[in-house]
Amino acid sequence: MLLKQMNILLADDDTDDCMFFKEALKDLFLPTEFTAVHDGEQLMQLLTNEDTVLPHVLFLDLNMPRKNGFECLSEIKLNARLNGIPVIIFSTSFENETVNQLHKSGAFYYIRKPSQFSQFKSLIQQSLEFIAQALTDQPSRDNFVLKAINN
Amino acid sequence: MTKINKSVEDELIIARQELAFQKVEKGKRAAELGIANIELVFQDEEKEKRAAELIIANKEVVFQNKEKEKRAAELIIANKEVVFQNKEKEDRAAELIIANKELLFQNEEKEKRAAELIIANKELVFQNDEKEKRAAELIIANKELLFQNEEKEKRAAELSIANEELIFQNEEKEKRAAELIIANKELAFQNEEKEKRAAELIIANNELAFQNEEKEKRATELGIANIELAFQNEEKEKRASELSIANKELLAFTYISSHDLQEPLRKIQTFCSIILENENNKLSENGKYNFERMQLAAGRMQQLIDDLLAFSRINTTELIFEEADLKIIIEEIISDLKETIQDKDATVDASGLGSANIIPFQFRQLMYNLISNALKFSKPDLPSQIVIKSSIVNGRKIKNKKLSSDKEYCHITVKDNGIGFEPRFSERIFEVFQKLHSKEIYSGTGIGLAIVKKIVENHNGIIIATSELDKGATFDMYFPAN
Repeated sequence: MLLKQMNILLADDDTDDCMFFKEALKDLFLPTEFTAVHDGEQLMQLLTNEDTVLPHVLFLDLNMPRKNGFECLSEIKLNARLNGIPVIIFSTSFENETVNQLHKSGAFYYIRKPSQFSQFKSLIQQSLEFIAQALTDQPSRDNFVLKAINN
Repeated sequence: MTKINKSVEDELIIARQELAFQKVEKGKRAAELGIANIELVFQDEEKEKRAAELIIANKEVVFQNKEKEKRAAELIIANKEVVFQNKEKEDRAAELIIANKELLFQNEEKEKRAAELIIANKELVFQNDEKEKRAAELIIANKELLFQNEEKEKRAAELSIANEELIFQNEEKEKRAAELIIANKELAFQNEEKEKRAAELIIANNELAFQNEEKEKRATELGIANIELAFQNEEKEKRASELSIANKELLAFTYISSHDLQEPLRKIQTFCSIILENENNKLSENGKYNFERMQLAAGRMQQLIDDLLAFSRINTTELIFEEADLKIIIEEIISDLKETIQDKDATVDASGLGSANIIPFQFRQLMYNLISNALKFSKPDLPSQIVIKSSIVNGRKIKNKKLSSDKEYCHITVKDNGIGFEPRFSERIFEVFQKLHSKEIYSGTGIGLAIVKKIVENHNGIIIATSELDKGATFDMYFPAN
């Protein structure tokens, strides 16, 4: 049950990763409206602005200048208007304790940025499909980390 | 004449036949007569029997008649007796009438007496009621008296106990008085002794004063020494905290640098994959090959950085031991390596594993490295079989210089059926960056077993690798059991 158009918001300071994401969306031929911000403060300013149309999903990098992903996640979850947005962590690192902490803080999925572009695409598609199924409950810790198929 | 003769002859024949018939008839009649005679004789005999019976019957009748006459005579006598009896009865009846009149009179007298008795009984009943009331009052009075008596006896018992107590108290007082006299004598003696002691003490005090001066000199010297020690300890603590900070910084540095080193590598790989995908039809075969080699090189560097980070972590994190079920750790590793295990059609048998006292995070890394090595170095045409067991052995039984013979060790083995290695490399494989194959055949950074050895050393244990080419490999580890 895909929505007519998905508004996707990406918060990542790395220009290359933003480019990869945009290219991946293009190649997936999904009806999406894509916006990117490059630091945490910019993200929170955008989200808390009453005029902003809220995204259907937020892909959030952890290491950003000014305000990092952890702080943004907790602020979003505390905000009644924002805490319904599913947040997918999109990060280079993979520390078990960090992943557990992020699951406890309410993120929906965790994706470790892959090194193959094809994996990039399949992970984004997989996560968008899950979100589009409009599951409102946070997945369990076992289903939290999305894994790419190795080719 | 012949006709007459013939008729006479016929008549003769007939007559003769008639005679013969008659003879036969006579014979029959004679036989019947014989039978009839026999019957007559029998009948006569019967008659004679009947006559005899009649004679007997007649004799019986005569006798019966004589008996009847005797009975009649007796009856006459009995009748005379009955008449006499009747006369007697009439005399008795007259006497009974007189007796009954007498009885009637007696009954009237008795009824008069009975009435008098009823009145007397009523009087008695009333008397008895009165007696019972008196008796009840007496019972109450008796109970009261009994109670009074018991109280008196209690009072008497208490008084006797009090008296005994007083007597006892008096005896005690006299004992105390006697003891006091003895004590006073003792005190007098003690006082004499004290005066002797006082004189001795004065001498001893002079001696002590001298000793104290000596001690104070020693004390000041100790004080100086303690200050010196305290200073040394502070220096040590500074060094220790500096080391700990340095370790943490090193760990953070390693982590961050590995992170920051990883990121450009990932980009190189991603860009390579984009080019290979998007420009596929524009590239020559050579060009594609070059880009693929670039990807592989970047990937190797990533793996190397990950392994170096793991190796440095082994040295810088805290060593916290806990008792853990090793089977559970192996199950987690099997789950992580699920795809590789399926690809290699491998089986990992950890049923022979128990629990042990280990550092969980490091032990997991150790087993992961050993198992993924076993999978990597499996024979291409033989499904990989990895068997992991543990047992407790005494140091004495393992002939190894590095293990003490009076300690208990947990012996863990990891055995595979892969390509094995030559025995002369059994120690070199644990050195950092030492590989036995080129990276083209078997990928790897050469750090995995170095990490394994470091972890075993962190557990104060030893590891021994045994193998022959093509015959699989066995890794024996011995950890102290406590």
